[in-house]
Amino acid sequence: MNKLGFSEEQRDCLQEIINVAMGLASDKLARFLNTFVHLQVPSIALVGAMHIPEEFENRYQDAEAALVSQGFFGDEGVRGEAIVLYQMENAHKISALLGYEPGDVSEIEMLTDISSILTTTFLNGLASQIENSLSYSAPRILSSRHGNVADVLKNTSFHWEHALKVDISYQLIDHSFNCDMILLIPGEAVTNIKHILDRILEAY
Amino acid sequence: MALPVLICDDSILARKQVRKSLPDTFDAEFQTAGNGMEALAVLRSQEIGLVFLDLTMPELDGIGVLEAIKTEAIDCFVIVISADIQPEMQKRVMELGALAFVQKPVSEDKINGVLKQYGFI
Repeated sequence: MNKLGFSEEQRDCLQEIINVAMGLASDKLARFLNTFVHLQVPSIALVGAMHIPEEFENRYQDAEAALVSQGFFGDEGVRGEAIVLYQMENAHKISALLGYEPGDVSEIEMLTDISSILTTTFLNGLASQIENSLSYSAPRILSSRHGNVADVLKNTSFHWEHALKVDISYQLIDHSFNCDMILLIPGEAVTNIKHILDRILEAY
Repeated sequence: MALPVLICDDSILARKQVRKSLPDTFDAEFQTAGNGMEALAVLRSQEIGLVFLDLTMPELDGIGVLEAIKTEAIDCFVIVISADIQPEMQKRVMELGALAFVQKPVSEDKINGVLKQYGFI
């Protein structure tokens, strides 16, 4: 995080804003799944987008994985792409919870729905705290094949300079469910984010 | 006499947000804690009238603090301020004896409403 020059105060500020946004997203997800979600503090890190494929290769390469992507656009040049990564093993647990049969075609639709709930609720929560408002493109499945996560990430992150990694881990009452969210953002967005954080910090 | 108040949150920003949302008419002496363990250390050694308590924290979370307050019969009021707004969580903290649940991010309106309701201001 500090590699890109965030002060400890800025990091604390961003973490809290993300915690609040994640609380909203978890509440929506819990309602959708009709269960209780044990909320953990999401770990966040800002990295160069070029490092994204290698960061996730190990965790996802040997497993069947799904990636769902959604673009977002806001005021003051805020824009980016949110990617949610799942191991299909985790996705099967969720679809079982929702009453889908294993391998059901609509499992992909379910993942798209969950990703959209997580992404838009999270980003709306983030945007309202920094007094911005966002619009979204339709979510799209980037891949649900075996072993091509690094390639897909390479092709997608290639267009962007930075990435904000948000490691989400949900513990449902009797299942565990992990997924990763990556926010790909352009270089100037990091400077903008710092200004916004400073503006918030100055107010307190 | 000023009310001894403890603000417990792992985020510095969140602690400042609480402090700033409180009205001038609220006569209090403030202490802060960065996690549940720190909060309990203060609560076990000093008289605290009111705690503003976060839930999602490292070391010991807010639920752990509420449980300890209940088990050890520590005499204080607790207002939970959290981003974890699931109805079941709100129900759980109220069952554990919290006075009120306030959704993050805090604002003057939200805090003042609760403080007025319970006669702190």
